[in-house]
Amino acid sequence: MSVMIQANYFDGKSATRHVVTLIVSGDRARIIGDGIARDESLASLRVSEPMGSAPRLITFADGAICEVTDHAGLNDLLAQTGYQEKTVVRWQQNGTWVIGALLFSMAIVWGAYRFGLPVFADVIAQQLPEKSIAKLGEHVLESLDESVFKPSELPDARQKEIIAGFEKLVPPNGKKVSHTIRFRNSPQIGANAFALPSGDIVMTDELVALTKDDREILGVLAHELGHLEKRHSLRQLLQGTIVGLVISWYVGDVSSILASAPAAILQARYSRDFEREADAYGAALLKHNHISPGYLANMLERLEKAHGGGKDDEGSDYFSTHPGTRERVRVLREQ
Amino acid sequence: MEQESNGNPASALPFVFSGKGSEYFSIWIVNVALTIITLGIYSAWAKVRKLQYLYRNTSLAGSSFDYHGNPIAILKGRLIAFGALVGSQLSLQFAPMIGIALLILLGIIFPWMIKRSLQFKLFNSSYRGLRFGFDGDTGGAYRVFLGLTVAASFIGFIWPYTHQQIKKYQHDNSRYGQTKFSFSATPGQYYKIYMIAGLLGLLALFLIGVLVGGAIFQGMMSTQQGPRSPFAAILPIIFVFLFFAVYQIIVGPFIQARLQNVVWNNTKLGEHIFVSNVSARKLFAITFTNFILIILTLGLYKPFATIRLLRYRLETMAFVPHGSLEDFLAGQAQQRSATGEETAEMFDVDISF
Repeated sequence: MSVMIQANYFDGKSATRHVVTLIVSGDRARIIGDGIARDESLASLRVSEPMGSAPRLITFADGAICEVTDHAGLNDLLAQTGYQEKTVVRWQQNGTWVIGALLFSMAIVWGAYRFGLPVFADVIAQQLPEKSIAKLGEHVLESLDESVFKPSELPDARQKEIIAGFEKLVPPNGKKVSHTIRFRNSPQIGANAFALPSGDIVMTDELVALTKDDREILGVLAHELGHLEKRHSLRQLLQGTIVGLVISWYVGDVSSILASAPAAILQARYSRDFEREADAYGAALLKHNHISPGYLANMLERLEKAHGGGKDDEGSDYFSTHPGTRERVRVLREQ
Repeated sequence: MEQESNGNPASALPFVFSGKGSEYFSIWIVNVALTIITLGIYSAWAKVRKLQYLYRNTSLAGSSFDYHGNPIAILKGRLIAFGALVGSQLSLQFAPMIGIALLILLGIIFPWMIKRSLQFKLFNSSYRGLRFGFDGDTGGAYRVFLGLTVAASFIGFIWPYTHQQIKKYQHDNSRYGQTKFSFSATPGQYYKIYMIAGLLGLLALFLIGVLVGGAIFQGMMSTQQGPRSPFAAILPIIFVFLFFAVYQIIVGPFIQARLQNVVWNNTKLGEHIFVSNVSARKLFAITFTNFILIILTLGLYKPFATIRLLRYRLETMAFVPHGSLEDFLAGQAQQRSATGEETAEMFDVDISF
């Protein structure tokens, strides 16, 4: 029994097109027409993978090719000869495998972003010496002093009292974290505290005014020291850079700046992890020194209220830098 | 448009692209999954499948193109590039002098690698069973990819000239069968494109200036009325960000569109010419909506975006044979030369322009 289909034949030596008929019978393939007559064994021919509606190419041992656009005819012919497509091709054509590949790839990419990259950045960050991190933020405090900060109005004695109180705390893991506590006044920013890469912990007068107990101040400082201990600024920088690079590479040559917008959203997720880590360190430091982590929780609640509170609900959770305050307060109070 | 006057438009043969996003998606996602599972090794096979899909779905005068790259050769090239990169990074950490020496060495062999990859790419492309080829010499590669490129990185103003020379080196040394391509675009045409792009940039800069100035002025006004929101403090940054983004997404497609037109409207294959009619505005619309859709679909639109962009860029191009195409093609024979032997053992490096 033989099958025949129409094809375009090119001998591989010139670009002349020959319109031919391909006839397969038994284990022989014959090509006839337009001055061409070939008789080859099926085993010496290679057929290209199906690529949508693109023609399929049957290649001869000497480099000549047959271009076939009659897909139905070729499929019948291949079925007759008992030809089996490659495994990868069958995966590409099978909906289940395609969806499987899709789910698998998405899971791996999500896992790399959620777990792989933070661990990677952490390992790198812990290896770098403290000095090189301090260099990263050398001028941050200076530029903040010029723009949003004013000198503190807190009396010197009061500042020293707070600092002395904090320096008395014994670190939970026996590892000292170098830091300098600074007070600033800032009506623009309001009640807040920051840990800068340089090792400076800045607390605003407005925050001190908001506290009802010095242990609450210690709680906030302990949280900020957590940011320094875990080297969050460096990890943030590493993760942000990598996420940004991957996205601009993936999206292609549209716009590197535009691509940084989704990168910023993805980074927000990391910031929330950092807040949780800083909370955990702060709570451990407080407990190690027999102070209840509840004092930090009190401050979180009051800070939220001071900044127009209650906005931090579940809906905006993903996009907010800080994890839901309610959630953080609950975790701290449970300790 | 800068179309050449010879060549009868009636005999223009359009490039036809039959790729479909859905088909390409299946190939792409299986490629991605297998590349992950094999820790990157499959990426060489993935590249071949991807290029074969794109080449075979591109046709001219009823015949399609084909890609013949050998995955093992591609893998070899990738492993060498990866090894060189990791090696130089590691030695930079532990033995800086060796690291720097390695980097300089890489820079020195870079033009030679580009030449080899151009040879690989063209030798592995075919139309109607006949291979393309690249005969560029090593000296020329060093002149454009090292000399002129390094010069342009110091004196930005000569970049359009460098870019024109790079394209000239690529196109003047390419052939199909035995027929040579030739390139006649002038440095002036490149300067014109980059100059207009620069003017668009100045316009964007002016608008940024006006808006940021306004925002700062407003910020000053509001401080006098008491505490302002932190948003006001970052407002200028947002404006700068937005305008650079807008600038990039408009100027990028503009340069791409104009360059494609200048390059192909000034490229000949023997006596036969090409016509390219890309509209910067349409290219902008496609790249911008592609970007939005890729973000909204968390990246899954990517293969559809590739197909959509390629379809537009290919279908705005045509080949105009001087006389009969069949007569021209019948006279084309495969080049049999020393390069055939040489190319058998060469490897591919992924560098594109």
